[in-house]
Amino acid sequence: MSSSPLTDLSAVQQSVETARGLLNAHYTDPAVFAEEREALWFPTWAGIGVAADVPEPGDAKPVDFVGVPLFILHGRDGQIRVFQNICRHRGMILVTEPRKIEGAIRCPYHSWCYSHQGKLVATPHVGGPGQNAHAAINRDELGLIEVRSHIWMGVIFVNLSGDAPAFADQHADLIARWAEFDAPLHHGGADSTFQLLCHTNWKLAVENYCESYHLPWVHPGLNSYSRLEDHYNIEEPGKFSGQGTLVYRQIKGDDGTTFPDFPDLSEKWDSGGEYLTVAPNVMLGVQRDHVFAIVLEPRGPTETLEHVHLLYASDQTSDALRAKNAAQWKEVFVEDIGVVEGMQAARGAPGFDGGRFSPVMDGPTLIFHQWVAGRLAEYRARA
Amino acid sequence: MSGDLDARLLAAHAAGDSAALVRLYSDAADAAASEDAAGFFLTHAYIFALELGAAEARQIRARLVRMGRDTG
Repeated sequence: MSSSPLTDLSAVQQSVETARGLLNAHYTDPAVFAEEREALWFPTWAGIGVAADVPEPGDAKPVDFVGVPLFILHGRDGQIRVFQNICRHRGMILVTEPRKIEGAIRCPYHSWCYSHQGKLVATPHVGGPGQNAHAAINRDELGLIEVRSHIWMGVIFVNLSGDAPAFADQHADLIARWAEFDAPLHHGGADSTFQLLCHTNWKLAVENYCESYHLPWVHPGLNSYSRLEDHYNIEEPGKFSGQGTLVYRQIKGDDGTTFPDFPDLSEKWDSGGEYLTVAPNVMLGVQRDHVFAIVLEPRGPTETLEHVHLLYASDQTSDALRAKNAAQWKEVFVEDIGVVEGMQAARGAPGFDGGRFSPVMDGPTLIFHQWVAGRLAEYRARA
Repeated sequence: MSGDLDARLLAAHAAGDSAALVRLYSDAADAAASEDAAGFFLTHAYIFALELGAAEARQIRARLVRMGRDTG
């Protein structure tokens, strides 16, 4: 039982037949949002972007990670690293917009400079005018603060606390499940990414993504070929959850063109597709000919920016077909905005008990609620 | 520093022209009336060369080290 005054989590940790969802405060209260940063975002592996955000050596991109300023750098050595976006001198922001950094990362305030590996390499005038060293300033101790990162399925994940199990261990079951997609992924480029701003808490986007229950109601266009009974639940409590389809249908161009398949896929994927969330915030979908990743960027308790990316098995794909695919997915994801914003608006209803779950259809969503509640409970127990 | 050099430096700063800043600050260092002034200008040349990833950063730094203005 939680000792926190914030919310009671016990009703979430019941069986699907009797469980209730997270209470309103989890969707509206800045204090709970702040608690989530510590309990859900910092100690786990959370997504901050895709490798394609920094495609070339020297490319840098700042990101706001639930209020923590970070930047991604594709170093000249070919490595993609994530650093805290702060100079070790007076704490100035280093990178304010996506840009190319050919040489050192120069702080715009007093021009302390860092290498692409994060090493402090220059401290101009630190010992007085024209004196660029001082015994009290040990450059070896003042490098940029690197944040632990890992790239999987083209997504850059970070573990801010630095003490989570290795990504490959933490998500071993999921990686094994989708091992057939462990192949080079090619981001489709500018025509294969878009953002959707949703006036909703980030968790509602995940909850909606977890289940297929809503598909015939919210996405009626799917009914003609992808019926509710063609879907199955994916339920791995404490690990991941989502849903799969048995009737994935490849998109075709006007001339019948399709995207090339990923190599050596098993028969399952001829018409299969799976859609899972890497908690807290990366929603992934895999199909025979493309993958998508949605990285959720919370901008407070009631606003979320969805960054959608489409990745392919080849870097040689049809421009027109990529555009058609992006438009098709955008239509689907835009259809979801109404319900995630509607659920957010409804969280203003006093005394809402968190709602109930269909024992058959909502298991994956409850698993996500329980992941949230379990981590919050652990955090509160330590606090 | 001559008025002309000062004007060109300001223009290069305004344009964010790092290559020009490296060159102009190096010129300012060469023309400086004192070693302190040279060290100041050379420091700026070095920083902009470093930011640019320019090859001359190494030589400028070596010069600063020889002048006792940076560590080796």
